[in-house]
Amino acid sequence: MSKRKHPRQQASTGPQRKGVRSSTRRTGRTAERESGMPVAQRWDRTASWGRVISGLRSVPSRLRRVPMAAWLCALVACLNAISWSFITPPFQIPDEPAHFAYVEQLARTGHLPSSSTQEFAPDELVALEDLEAPRVAFQPEHRTIASRAQQRKLEADVASAVETSMPGSGAAGVAASQPPLYYALEAIPYDLGSGGGVLDQLALMRLVSALWAGVTALFVFLFLREALPGTPRAWTVGGLGVAFLPALASISGAVNPESMLCAVSAAIFYCFARAFRRGLTPRLAMVIGALTAVGFLTKLNFLGLAAGVVLGLVVLARRASQTLGRRTAFRALASGLVIAASPVCVYIFVNLLSHHRALGIGSSIAGLTADHRSIVGGLSYIWQLYLPRLPGMHIDFADTSPIRDLWFNGLVGDYGFEDTYFPRWVDNVALIPAIGILALCGREVFVRRSALRRRVSEFGVYFVMAAGLMTLIGVSSYLSFPSEAAGFPEPRYLLPLIPLFGAVLALATRGAGRRWGTTVGVLIVVLFIDHDLFSQLQVIARYYG
Amino acid sequence: MRDARVALAAGLVLSAIAVAIVLAHSPVVLTGTNGIEPLPTPLTSVDGGASGCQANEVLPARSSAIRLSLGASAGPRVAVTVLSGKTVITHGEGVRGWLGYVVTIPIKPLNHAVSDTTVCFAFTGAHERVLLMGVRTPTRIAATSGAGTLPGRIAIEYLRRGSSSWWSLALSTSRRLGLGRAWAGTWIVLLVAALMATGVALASWLVIRASR
Repeated sequence: MSKRKHPRQQASTGPQRKGVRSSTRRTGRTAERESGMPVAQRWDRTASWGRVISGLRSVPSRLRRVPMAAWLCALVACLNAISWSFITPPFQIPDEPAHFAYVEQLARTGHLPSSSTQEFAPDELVALEDLEAPRVAFQPEHRTIASRAQQRKLEADVASAVETSMPGSGAAGVAASQPPLYYALEAIPYDLGSGGGVLDQLALMRLVSALWAGVTALFVFLFLREALPGTPRAWTVGGLGVAFLPALASISGAVNPESMLCAVSAAIFYCFARAFRRGLTPRLAMVIGALTAVGFLTKLNFLGLAAGVVLGLVVLARRASQTLGRRTAFRALASGLVIAASPVCVYIFVNLLSHHRALGIGSSIAGLTADHRSIVGGLSYIWQLYLPRLPGMHIDFADTSPIRDLWFNGLVGDYGFEDTYFPRWVDNVALIPAIGILALCGREVFVRRSALRRRVSEFGVYFVMAAGLMTLIGVSSYLSFPSEAAGFPEPRYLLPLIPLFGAVLALATRGAGRRWGTTVGVLIVVLFIDHDLFSQLQVIARYYG
Repeated sequence: MRDARVALAAGLVLSAIAVAIVLAHSPVVLTGTNGIEPLPTPLTSVDGGASGCQANEVLPARSSAIRLSLGASAGPRVAVTVLSGKTVITHGEGVRGWLGYVVTIPIKPLNHAVSDTTVCFAFTGAHERVLLMGVRTPTRIAATSGAGTLPGRIAIEYLRRGSSSWWSLALSTSRRLGLGRAWAGTWIVLLVAALMATGVALASWLVIRASR
């Protein structure tokens, strides 16, 4: 291995050694030198929309500066998700019929769904019936259709449904309460495939969804480049690990807003890593605000990340006040927060103006959450959902270890309608590399503890983002407890934290040291390739075997 | 650089061998059912520590697993005992923390079929209630739980390893994969293989390049 330093590595050495605060100061002064005017004055100009538009014009040149390795990680993630989109039978991912119905409703009528029932449009119902979707979903012995005659009937019925196209039913099942951005984007492939019927539309929509896997891998790579600037190979290992993660590929190969939420979340993590390393600029504050707004418009689960985003902006603005000046930093913070909150405010305002409930169909969910339950009991439950039970806590998971049985085993393999998983011995064997990766990651954290201490506020922000999302999932599960022990224990709900997963892989690569780091990095990538291949084989065996 | 190449080559070769070995195994096949479709239609729910029995079952020969239609989000450990009269003829225990609407419990296979058996199940360690899926029946043939009678019978399936390997089933599996979708055809398998091969090749090149 060559000992040449990567340019990025050289550039990063200063801030790493001097700590983040000195790096921000330096960045501020450098910015002043480059622009020839005080940063505070520059803010007044950059704050104008003209500047924003010119910033958008510079996007192509910025894209050209993205390393080829990042693009290739994105490409691999896309190819993998597309592959999953082909092997997963239509409507055999949880809630896909509901997400499809949402897009159909939006594309056909221009209105949001008004009902959370399962009474979907006739063309979708015809396809679901001909595909025997409910039986395939809930009976592991029942495979997908197997004869040419069934295929011909399916094609004929779908074609006839195209001719007698009817407006959407207004129902979108469990998806009805979700915000509309992802579905609005999916309306484009829906319209493009409208001549071919439901199956063509679904296939095209899945391909668009697969692109989000690429965006996720791209931003995870860039996040690692900013957060762990010392070892370029670690960025590649983290990026490829994410690109081959079957949980991400499976959900991105289907129609599900989770795919876009992962991409938005990864972009926000990247922006924070960049801001903590180089200092918050007004433009970056606005970008974080805009991404947060996109997150709010993508999926309700984004609420879990919101507290961390706000905290991050406040911390960064406080630090930036030393370089940009208090007033400018405050304006950067305010602009970020206003942009972030704008979709929620507009949504509430429009609903109130049209005499609907403030949160629209989401109000019914808010009503559900107004259940009188013990806060201490809830905290104890959420703790036990992720961590070992402490003495004195009520036993909420008897003889079950949620971290092992629900989260770890679920991440190892849990596809389709939770009936496609590996034999238990595979979960046990998977513990070996998992413990190895965590041990190497822990070693790296221990060795670099003094450097990490200087970045405690940055890690605090990531921690609050993670804790917020985990708490949201925990609260949702607690609301259905004890009739269901864990209503939302699926690892896919944690996928917005995927940049941190990539960071664990990257840290493990670094933790193996100079001598073994390369080999360990390669083996981690091979491990994830294998995980992905065997997961695909498992799904193929379940549905087509 | 050389270490990386060796590690990658060794890893990919081992992966290919593992795939070949896995595909040489046989899929699990159904040896019989009790005639009740395993749809997620809740019959009733019972306590996470409950137990029950269902009579008039037929245990097919060489059955190596029993699949019960139960619903839970973090299901309990399920123990199954099959009795002929009062004699235990086979027994098995599943894993805890399962999710969904079916749970498969491995059992010790018998060489011969046994009719008129009673399948008993016992749950341990769940705080949530477990849904029992099946159909409503007259009380005299319904399953029992504890001292009471359940409102019907639970769907039960019996499984064993098949005799054909995945390799020999590759063509029929490929044909099936090409059906039930837009742009149907067996070519989809080739496309998926090409996509994954490209992804693996790109990743291999990238990881070697990164280790320079």
